[in-house]
Amino acid sequence: MNEHDDIDGLAAEYVLGTLTLSERTSVAARRQREHALDAAIIDWEHRLAPLNAAITEVVPPGDTFAKIESRLRNSVPGTGASVVELKKRIKIWRTTAIAASALAASLILTLGAIQFAPKPKTKNLVAVLQKDAASPAFLVSVNVDDRVMTVRPVAAKHEAGKSFELWIIHDSLGKPKSLGVIDEVQPTRGATLASYRADVIEGSTYAVTLEPEGGSPSGDPTGPVVFAGKMIEASDF
Amino acid sequence: MTTQQELSNLLGRVALKDRAAFADVYRATSSKLYGITLRILRRPDLADEVLQEVYVKVWDRAADFDPKIASPITWLATIARNRALDEVRKKRPESIEDYPELLDVASGEETALAAVMRGEDGKRLADCLSRLEDGKRQMVVLAYCEGLSRDELAEKYGQPANTIKTWLRRSLAQLKGCLGS
Repeated sequence: MNEHDDIDGLAAEYVLGTLTLSERTSVAARRQREHALDAAIIDWEHRLAPLNAAITEVVPPGDTFAKIESRLRNSVPGTGASVVELKKRIKIWRTTAIAASALAASLILTLGAIQFAPKPKTKNLVAVLQKDAASPAFLVSVNVDDRVMTVRPVAAKHEAGKSFELWIIHDSLGKPKSLGVIDEVQPTRGATLASYRADVIEGSTYAVTLEPEGGSPSGDPTGPVVFAGKMIEASDF
Repeated sequence: MTTQQELSNLLGRVALKDRAAFADVYRATSSKLYGITLRILRRPDLADEVLQEVYVKVWDRAADFDPKIASPITWLATIARNRALDEVRKKRPESIEDYPELLDVASGEETALAAVMRGEDGKRLADCLSRLEDGKRQMVVLAYCEGLSRDELAEKYGQPANTIKTWLRRSLAQLKGCLGS
């Protein structure tokens, strides 16, 4: 029996930790494209997890957390990187007009409408909220002058019994602040950003979490972040 | 004590880049994760370095955490284990003979199983582990907790690495059958 036949044995040994470095590297790469292997690994992680209770806890050195925090400051935030990526993509969409994709077309139309809005002096911001650069889910646009925010669903899928809730995240705000539940079919429009400063609106990260129906019961995000993005000026395009 | 539900919520906030929540996650879990990296790497300097990388990864990847797939502590422990195992496979040049305490694991193993049995899932796993032959059970627990490779187990048990592989796969398959029943 070779490794490809015994996927479950390979997954088990990967989780147990007995593979060589090259085998581990190969399994880590294969699980990205082989769903059966990935699922088997997750099952084994679950089966053997109670053994973690056997590991004695040890308090790490006192300066470790400060070292971690300094690494965070030096790290590039993921959402920022994907905005750059997205800008490139949108430029490509606009210049080569690959409008064959309905998704691309809808984005270009929306962005075009914002850019060539009747009041040319108005500053408009847009953020594409996405899980990765290839799958935008919501488009948020803000008119900075009147603070009106419009959230347009692009490709978000409804989950039964759940609601999408939008959050604004900025250092100056402390905790993430809710911008309300957003609809995955109809655009949601309102002056929810009325109380925020323009620089905060522009510099914030916007994230969507999956919450119980009707929104987070506690006022803080409780579910996983499903989409996130940052604002870019519409005139940048 | 932070409950699993609280920890899930905190990870949700970390995904939103909430620094305070990140500090809370660190406070609640760093001793467990350092225990894991130290046990596998055995060198405090390496274990500390890996622990830092683990939490940077938690910061970057908290949005990937899905409570439907894993409990938060299992998710965190898995990141720590995988990172520590990759590192130890790169860096552990010493012979297992340098670690005499590993050669006498019987008592440690009993303590380990007692700790495992505290939870409901743990009772089932401990019960299924106890159905393996003594040597095989010890091998599985040693491999998981100490991060031993097949070669290191081969040295310890005086068997060729291929035999160890066969033993491990059979023991794991038996364990899976027992847990599934």
